[in-house]
Amino acid sequence: MSREHLREYLKGYRESWTICMQCASCYYRGPIVPHNWRELPPFEWASPHRKCPSYEYFKFRAFSPVGRGNLASIVFDDPNFPITDELVRVVYTCTSCKTCSEICKAHDPWTIIWALKEELIRRGARLPNPLPKLITNIDSYGNIFGAEKPPAINMNIPKKGEEILFTGCFIRFIQPNLIEAIVNIFGKMGLNLAWLGDEEQCCGFLPGQHGDIQRMEMQAQKNVKRLREAGAQRIIVSCAHCYKTLRDYYPKLVDNFPFEVIHVSEMYARLIESGKMRFARRVEEKVTYHDPCFLGRHSKVYDEPRLVIENVPGIKLEEMDRRRKWALCCGSGAKAVYFCYPEFSSAISRERLLEAKEKANNLVTSCSSCIFQMDRAAKQNNIGINIYDISQIVARGLGIPSIV
Amino acid sequence: MSFQSKILDELKAIVGPDRVSVSPEVCLAYAFNPFWGRDIIVKPDIVILPKTPEEISQILKVANSYRVPVTPKGAVGGGGHGGPLKGGILLDLSLMDNILLIDTANMKAIAEAGCSFFKLSQEVFKRGMLLPTAAYGSGPSVAASAIDPAYAFGGTRYGGNINLVEGLEVVLPSGEIVRVGSMAYLDSEFGPYHRYITGPDLVGLFTRSNGAFGIITKVAYRCLRKPKFWAFKAFAWPRDRLKECIHAAAEATSIEVFDIHFNNRARWELKPNGPKIPEDLYFVLTIAINGFNELELRGREKEVEEICESYGGRYLPEVGEDFHAIWPCDFLPEEKILPPRYSLPAKIPRSYVFLFDELIHPLSWMPQIYEKMSELCAEYGLSGLVVDGFILNNLCSSTQFTISLNDSDPDVVKRYRQCQNEFRKWFLERGGTFQYRLPPYVPDKVWTNQLGAFKILKKIKGLLDPNNILSPGTFELFEEVEADE
Repeated sequence: MSREHLREYLKGYRESWTICMQCASCYYRGPIVPHNWRELPPFEWASPHRKCPSYEYFKFRAFSPVGRGNLASIVFDDPNFPITDELVRVVYTCTSCKTCSEICKAHDPWTIIWALKEELIRRGARLPNPLPKLITNIDSYGNIFGAEKPPAINMNIPKKGEEILFTGCFIRFIQPNLIEAIVNIFGKMGLNLAWLGDEEQCCGFLPGQHGDIQRMEMQAQKNVKRLREAGAQRIIVSCAHCYKTLRDYYPKLVDNFPFEVIHVSEMYARLIESGKMRFARRVEEKVTYHDPCFLGRHSKVYDEPRLVIENVPGIKLEEMDRRRKWALCCGSGAKAVYFCYPEFSSAISRERLLEAKEKANNLVTSCSSCIFQMDRAAKQNNIGINIYDISQIVARGLGIPSIV
Repeated sequence: MSFQSKILDELKAIVGPDRVSVSPEVCLAYAFNPFWGRDIIVKPDIVILPKTPEEISQILKVANSYRVPVTPKGAVGGGGHGGPLKGGILLDLSLMDNILLIDTANMKAIAEAGCSFFKLSQEVFKRGMLLPTAAYGSGPSVAASAIDPAYAFGGTRYGGNINLVEGLEVVLPSGEIVRVGSMAYLDSEFGPYHRYITGPDLVGLFTRSNGAFGIITKVAYRCLRKPKFWAFKAFAWPRDRLKECIHAAAEATSIEVFDIHFNNRARWELKPNGPKIPEDLYFVLTIAINGFNELELRGREKEVEEICESYGGRYLPEVGEDFHAIWPCDFLPEEKILPPRYSLPAKIPRSYVFLFDELIHPLSWMPQIYEKMSELCAEYGLSGLVVDGFILNNLCSSTQFTISLNDSDPDVVKRYRQCQNEFRKWFLERGGTFQYRLPPYVPDKVWTNQLGAFKILKKIKGLLDPNNILSPGTFELFEEVEADE
């Protein structure tokens, strides 16, 4: 098994676009099905009015799933099709939110766009700045930020163990206190987490999601080797991007991937259901929950974070209209939109935060990229809303000082 | 300053720089529909996103002064095509998507041109009314449904969506904004109550016009009351009993059932996890029946059963319900339905395309039309023929044929086009008409069996659009027809 496996998988999608009916359900404003003569559609098929963030921002069809799919079908068939900066902009402004693929299971537009990115990389496309630099940073420093050393952690975490926390670049370099919170939570449950620390490498999500499968494979090889050496059996992940990469892509990229990969929210839910996690403190807050794209639509983890939040005494969960499979992207856009198209990124975040603010003054989510993006956008746009990681809420419920 | 940059500057001054694009990549995304075959790519030079009739008015004035073609388009259009034949300006009306009025007392609705028909249909439905729903997919815009009529579920009782259009707001090629039909009354106290004004009906000038006489900016619909009771039935016939099947369809149409679809068994083979059609049966009628009370429903149901059984039809439980009342609509299959590329009856990679969408003909001619199409497909080595006949209340059918083919093989594409041409010739010689008259899909021969009508249309076109800027592909064929005469 290798990156060729993933490439073959993506290649399979190239042929499907030729039978797209161009019905525009993937982006056209309005319902994807109006009624069935007797009743309105159930939640499962009650899509939001506004579906594709990039179409809603840029307005032209090229920036919709169907528009990108049409371009993909031409690029795939014409080896001499000019790979221009504009083509790259059209393709890389896709947020990878995957709402289109929830709507159209027949053609799975998001995977076609991913296949197109892979093709553009293969043809030597010039990626939007600063993506090339971020990817070079991974090669040189093992993280997207190009930092020599992560900030110091005020606790000693073993480097070897069966249960290993995989933090990812954002937590390691921007939200390091979250590492302490998570380790403390599991410690209180009798689980001593290990962490690779400086040995941990970027998971490869950023290059992988943007078509550089080879680099994602390289990162997979490095991380799996170190995880094996550390004696890992189960990998606990807090970032939704890392989680998707480790859970679903690593097994395709690395021979004999032996680990169980689990998100912190799934782990908390298991502990609650088994009666091991009991909350001692009330958290008197009204909160709303934002489903991260790569935990929700990409990984189908919807129930566990809600179970966790609803079990913290005192918390009242108010759901947004766009939730679960219909949740709006936070604006991070698989990180590329955040780094390369900040105005677009901020516009999406603003829309999401205002939607959240209608329900509560506190927003909980389960992805370090979402937290970073929305916290930044709330400040930029002067929207008074508190953004929490689910581990912070758990820590408060358990009476562990939340220091994030 | 070049000609192109001059016109571009003027257009940007009208809508702002963010809603105009000449980017080749942006324009290319509007240029073709794989479902029609990718050998036809017709790319606009400029795409504009207007938001108001006033902006469209100014755009048309600029286009007229430079004699630049203008083609309107919603999100879908023309089976997903609707691209311009000769480049020029493409007006993407998707941003004009507001519902302006839903009047339950008078059962009327008005929406902007780019509003999804599904959106309007759902909002009307929420208020106890009904608009027969456009085709299967997410739906064309309300304007596209009026200028390039979408035959809907419900066409058997009510005809096409077009039959419910009562008024239009239109920007003429000169830039003048006019309101016809019930929209002429829009600002009166009575409101948009009646299609007909004191004088000739002008709504029909713009419906089915393919945008050639003016850009429609608002559409007023008459709504129907939502029936409370529904039933969905299916009956099937063997391969050699096509005539009997069509006789049954005609009789059931005459008792005003809501909808009848005519299909061959290949349509069900597209969905391997859907209901199965028994091996000895080939043609299927799916029939939607409704009533405002249970008695009416049961009466019609009984009548339908008697008609179909008297012509030898066999009742297929579940098939009718699956066809008409599934979540979601047909082109958005649930997870249980495999992606079409794995489920095509002919097992041919790459494609599933239209041969024709849609042929309008008397229902009584369906047997000859189906057999001719089958014969030609066999002759040209094309397989996976699926027929989908939308039976209309005037005993016509709007018939769609699709096939499976590998559109990366030039020889296959050549045979596909030859088959289309040969059938088109045969069909037109007998008086057939096409729902989609967009060249290049339906080239020159389209006008030859309706010359009288086209001569007067040409005169009107000349008066309204002397520079032939609006959807010029639609009527330029006049010149060829005239040259032939």
